[in-house]
Amino acid sequence: MSETANLVGTRWLRRVDPAVATAFACIILLLAFGSLYSTNFLSPEYLLQQLKVASFLGVIATGMMLVILLGQIDLSVPWAVAVGGMMACAAAAYGTVGVYLAIPFGVACGAAIGLVNGIGVAYLRIPSMIITLATNAVAQGLMVVYTGGFSPRDSATAAMRFLATGSLLPGIPNAVVIWALIGFAAVFLLTRTTFGRSVYAIGNRERAAYLSGIDTRRIVMVAFILSGALSAFGGVLLAGYASKAAQAMGDAYLLPAIAAVVLGGTSILGGRGSYLGTIAGVILITVLQSILSVMQMPEAGRQVIYGILIVAMLLLYGRTPALR
Amino acid sequence: MAADMGDARPPLLRMEGISKRFGGVRALEEAELTVRAGRIHAVLGENGAGKSTLIKILAGVISPDEGRMLLDGGEVSFASPAEANRAGIVCIFQELSLIPDLSVADNIALFDPPRRFGLIDRRAQRRIAEEALARAGAPDIHPMALVKDLPLSRRQMVEIAKSLARQPRILILDEATSALTAADVAKVFSVLKRLRSEGLALLYISHRMHEIAELADECTVFRNGRNVASYPAGTKTDNEVVELMIGREYKHVFPPKPVSPPAARPVLECRNLSWSERLRDISFSVRQGEVVGLGGLDGQGQRELLLALFGVLRGCGGKVLVNGKPVALSSPGQAKADGIGMALIPEDRKTEGLMLPMSVRENLSFASLDRVSRHGLIDRAAEDRQIEEMVRLLAIRAGSLDMPVGGLSGGNQQKVVIAKWLMRAPRIILLNDPTRGIDVGTKQEIYQLLRRLADAGAAILFYSTDYDELIGCCDRVLVLYDGMIKRELVGKEITEHALIATALNISGEQAA
Repeated sequence: MSETANLVGTRWLRRVDPAVATAFACIILLLAFGSLYSTNFLSPEYLLQQLKVASFLGVIATGMMLVILLGQIDLSVPWAVAVGGMMACAAAAYGTVGVYLAIPFGVACGAAIGLVNGIGVAYLRIPSMIITLATNAVAQGLMVVYTGGFSPRDSATAAMRFLATGSLLPGIPNAVVIWALIGFAAVFLLTRTTFGRSVYAIGNRERAAYLSGIDTRRIVMVAFILSGALSAFGGVLLAGYASKAAQAMGDAYLLPAIAAVVLGGTSILGGRGSYLGTIAGVILITVLQSILSVMQMPEAGRQVIYGILIVAMLLLYGRTPALR
Repeated sequence: MAADMGDARPPLLRMEGISKRFGGVRALEEAELTVRAGRIHAVLGENGAGKSTLIKILAGVISPDEGRMLLDGGEVSFASPAEANRAGIVCIFQELSLIPDLSVADNIALFDPPRRFGLIDRRAQRRIAEEALARAGAPDIHPMALVKDLPLSRRQMVEIAKSLARQPRILILDEATSALTAADVAKVFSVLKRLRSEGLALLYISHRMHEIAELADECTVFRNGRNVASYPAGTKTDNEVVELMIGREYKHVFPPKPVSPPAARPVLECRNLSWSERLRDISFSVRQGEVVGLGGLDGQGQRELLLALFGVLRGCGGKVLVNGKPVALSSPGQAKADGIGMALIPEDRKTEGLMLPMSVRENLSFASLDRVSRHGLIDRAAEDRQIEEMVRLLAIRAGSLDMPVGGLSGGNQQKVVIAKWLMRAPRIILLNDPTRGIDVGTKQEIYQLLRRLADAGAAILFYSTDYDELIGCCDRVLVLYDGMIKRELVGKEITEHALIATALNISGEQAA
């Protein structure tokens, strides 16, 4: 009896992940709550502005999601973001070639950080929490050496500014289009390719995936490279948005990126989660940030609220009934 | 029955009408068991017959859906192993429960360490450990030694000492001798007999008929979750017991073997294979169309041999030849590649064979993703075609291909593990105890399937902890002992007696 109910339950669960539904419901609740303060919260301009701000986090959270699906974590996000922004701006100082190569160079630097992370986790079997924290520190040190500890002088290229602030399609910011493209690519990667299937499998049971003849180490390494590259690309966009890179520009993105992925129902232990959930999580975090700042909540208060939210969501969804 | 087997004393423990279900599987149905003090009571049954579930209920690990337990005539129920312990029921499970980085004494006193002023009294703890070790017949183990430094057989003795330190009235041994050497088994037996004379009730679960014959006073046979017979030890022949266990006549279970072994070329050859201390100088070959068994006691290197062949183990010495050509496989990915065509059905489907929360579909195609994709892109139509073929071929019963594979019954889960490899049409199939914990019906299907695969030209290397399977399925059996091939049994030589005698290393050189 109860077992058939369970089966029906799980089938339903797989179709509409309650975490995703909850996250979207929270977004609507937050907007409704915000509209009590000011009707602006429901205006198309405000919503589009939020979506634009969310795009930067969305790009970064995409990489984080890949890594979390593997059952790992990437704590090198803050300085991968900063390296991306700073190196792209730095390249722009080297003539026309530099200007052209600014964006690829910034992304490549992030991918290099991801490569180190990936080799450390996949081949040297260092826990991801340690190696990514270490590469984050090394990246920070290198950037401090490069800038002498001051804010970098170089400014973003026109292309970077265009990607972050322009709008090719009338009314729709380019940043939103970029996030949409990356999102489509991520959904495709996760659902239709052997790579995506392997990511879920490794997150569920790495040993079983390995014994099935999958090159698990390569998959893990590639996921970390993608995470580093996407973080850096987020940094490129942020530098374009602010017209220049800054030392601590990535610091505000680590916890929100993790929170967005987890709030969207991706299991922090890996193996389970959908990109739709991550989209919901990203928007939820962004709207929450916006409302907190409208309410003039100090930064400290925001951090407390993030932390509580993550714990609450983990309690709600982190413990699915164990399958035999 | 039989006037309570001539014992007037009231039973120490009675379990009545015990039922337990796990998801779709009925593990126990109205099971009963009566245990008396001063007796060794053997519980027999196939894997999955419900023995382990019954023991876990008795030890407080899981609680029954229905039924009651009477201890000294009073009804009891245990919410945790600790409660069962307090009532005097202590269990030694198949898997060791020792913590490798703690000392022997720490481990023995782990559950209730002696305390002084709130701190552990190390001197008292050591005394307790010494007493327990002496009682377990292993006074030579130093209480301050770290468990990780002890060989496996010694650890098992520590495990027994640990259970004795908890002052049991009923001691349960669940396959507790599977890791022991023959000499240690003899020691354990004398300890168990002494405990019996001290008035303990012992429940002894084992697959080894000769152990039961030597030890037990009473036997209860389980089949499909029910106790089907209880009788005083020694009143039934092995064959009668086996028939009770499988519930039908023994010889019908297995498909017929070919009359003469195939004379084809060897597909898989192994020359002087060695790995660390676990595999030593192993040479053999498997021909096309042959089912070769790996026998011997648990943990004599059979698993390592299969893993070594499949490219999982690092640093193997010796040579492996596939179709006469030497190969150096360093990963399962290479082993399954087209030129080699190897498949390994792993030991534990839950951690090695399947990704339980993922769908039946995703699990089935996972080992063949390279076959159903182009440039990393999965061709859903091709995937579905192959999956449907496999579901039909193995008669996998799943409500939906999109449900998590963990929701299937054990037998169907195992079919998924096998199907996911058969999808590749492997030429060399390695099986690591593929029928463990699955129902008799599915087992039979697997036996038939193995023979069909062999007839179709596959070379099969098959490790089983179940002697009957080796006897029924295999054309040849290699019996391993301590990482070496002790003996090769061919055709009619494969008998339970020969398997057991070789497994225990009591034939030939050990007599000296």
